[in-house]
Amino acid sequence: MDYIFDIFVISISAALINNFVLYYFVGICPFIGVSRRVDMALGMGSAVTFVMTIAVFLSWTITTLILMPGAPVSRWVAGYFMSAEKAAGIDLTILTYIVYIFSIASSVQFVEMYVRKFYPPLYKSFGVFLPLITTNCAILFACLTVMSNIIGVENPIEAWNLGRSLALGLFGGAGFTIAIVIMSGIREELDLCDIPAPFKGAAITLIVGGILAMAFMGFNGVDSGLKAALAGTP
Amino acid sequence: MERALKRGSTGAADRLKNSNFAQAWLILVLALIFGAALAAVQVNLSGIIAANKLNETLERVPELVFGAAAAAGMTSQNASVDITPGTVTVRKDIKTSYYNLFRVTHEGKLAGWVVKAGGQGYADKIEIIIGLDPGADTITGLFVLQQKETPGLGNKITFPRWRNQFIRKKTSPPLVVTKGKSQASNAIDAVTGATISSRSVTGIVNRAIGDVKGRLTPATIRFYERQP
Amino acid sequence: MTDLPTPSERFIQGILPENPVYRQLLGLCPTLAVTNGLKPALTMAVAVGVVLLSANIIISLIRNLLKPHLRIVVFTLTIATFVTIVDRLLAAYMYQMSKTLGPYIPLIIVNCIIICRCEVCASRQNVLAASADAVGQAIGFGLALTGIAVIREILGTGMIAGVQLMPTAWPSWVIMVLPPGAFLTFGLLLALVNWIDSTRSKNEGSGG
Repeated sequence: MDYIFDIFVISISAALINNFVLYYFVGICPFIGVSRRVDMALGMGSAVTFVMTIAVFLSWTITTLILMPGAPVSRWVAGYFMSAEKAAGIDLTILTYIVYIFSIASSVQFVEMYVRKFYPPLYKSFGVFLPLITTNCAILFACLTVMSNIIGVENPIEAWNLGRSLALGLFGGAGFTIAIVIMSGIREELDLCDIPAPFKGAAITLIVGGILAMAFMGFNGVDSGLKAALAGTP
Repeated sequence: MERALKRGSTGAADRLKNSNFAQAWLILVLALIFGAALAAVQVNLSGIIAANKLNETLERVPELVFGAAAAAGMTSQNASVDITPGTVTVRKDIKTSYYNLFRVTHEGKLAGWVVKAGGQGYADKIEIIIGLDPGADTITGLFVLQQKETPGLGNKITFPRWRNQFIRKKTSPPLVVTKGKSQASNAIDAVTGATISSRSVTGIVNRAIGDVKGRLTPATIRFYERQP
Repeated sequence: MTDLPTPSERFIQGILPENPVYRQLLGLCPTLAVTNGLKPALTMAVAVGVVLLSANIIISLIRNLLKPHLRIVVFTLTIATFVTIVDRLLAAYMYQMSKTLGPYIPLIIVNCIIICRCEVCASRQNVLAASADAVGQAIGFGLALTGIAVIREILGTGMIAGVQLMPTAWPSWVIMVLPPGAFLTFGLLLALVNWIDSTRSKNEGSGG
């Protein structure tokens, strides 16, 4: 039961309270550049969520099995080359960023092939934006958050397992989608307004984004309240 | 290398570009060079980074146990203060918690404990270290290691003026957060406009002390050697 | 070959005319994230500059060997390596700053500025031009970050890098150091830059 509550809090936190776009500032480039029509934004958000979940799955698995200090697979392989106790201390975390970015690139490739095979019109409408998801900060950020909850923790029992990581990936992407869809809806309206010339384009989007971020600040503190309520303490 | 390729035979460069075999070798060579660079970085810097992480806490330990003035005096005298790290495992129902702590001895005698604890704050996780006297009856200090509370409001929990409220408070009964000064001996005055942050820190302190109090014996603490 | 800019042109372009943040709208994630203080902003600018320079030099050295298909792979590998090195150096020698900057240092890997410069400049020009380009772009990035950081920190806390500038009676606009403040400051500054640019080209148009 504890576990379900934990997943619930992580999900709400990633989607609304610590929204990737409006609180952590990742995924800003598509937030400003792509969002102009709600259906495009929804498609982009879904693609990012899909890639994020796969990427987080890959990063968690690779980190826990290979990269972590004392990880099982590396320890087994190193056992062939050095003594067992030296192999137990093997630490491949220096390769983390390289491995992560390549696993993200692979996830995007995979999603691209999938979309091209099963949703050809969607693939055409995406155009160049699908490969560009590789450089979306939000996905690497999700992987890094998962990593920091595995490697940096002092007590191994509190290291995140796969369920929590997938919850972060899935709902972080959902939060990104929510932000980008709201923004695209607002921009559809903005197109009909008379905006002063210097503000047209990115500037007005940023200012609207600021007001949106203020609105989302209202969610601040919800997760600590949730945790207290779920744990039963006042 | 560039001149040779340009002047010599552009044919050679083009052949290199178009040959998959050569491309594979290029990536392999690059990977090896980068791998060697990274390995060098790892070997040279990982010790320093680990030391940084540990020192962050260790530096605070003397002043948490002895008080800021006394700790400064001790450093100038090069007094022999021994800090031994250890962990305590607490099993309650189905949940197991670990606490990292430090045993502080001065001139051979037990001078106090420093317990590391954390929990959910208003905005994000809060990590604190608590100084306790040898019997774990009185709090001797509090320091906030990590917090992401609201600047100007919640992050006032890091200010010494607020933290020093905890000094000389007894560990039982549990501390209670009040708004406005109270005469009770276990009252902590909340930061104005940041009641939740204040309650979070006090809750973390109460919980940590409650968990660790009866377990500060050699039997229940697993000590480990500190890397020099 | 003759229409590629010279090294000095690359350098000058990078600072203002082709400023990565205000003109090209690249690298917005760190621009918004680390500018709530002057010190983090400067550290981030230097880190990006170092990675940009190193990546540009390496890519420029091997530019004649790169097949178009694989160049993205090589770019990514190079950038990721240098970012790892910079990240470790920061953690070793500036530990507190490394904790403040947190995940935004590894996010330099997907910073569009660096990949864009590798693609546009380093893979086509010699080492000198690539280096000049890197330094110019880095200075431009640094200027952009510093501008936003100064405004946010002074209005938000009344201090700059720990030095109290505003009178203590100043009610700190805390919102400025929070996420909304980043969006608002950057949006207003961007509008200002656009306005200056359009006024200047209007004057040049009518005068010349």
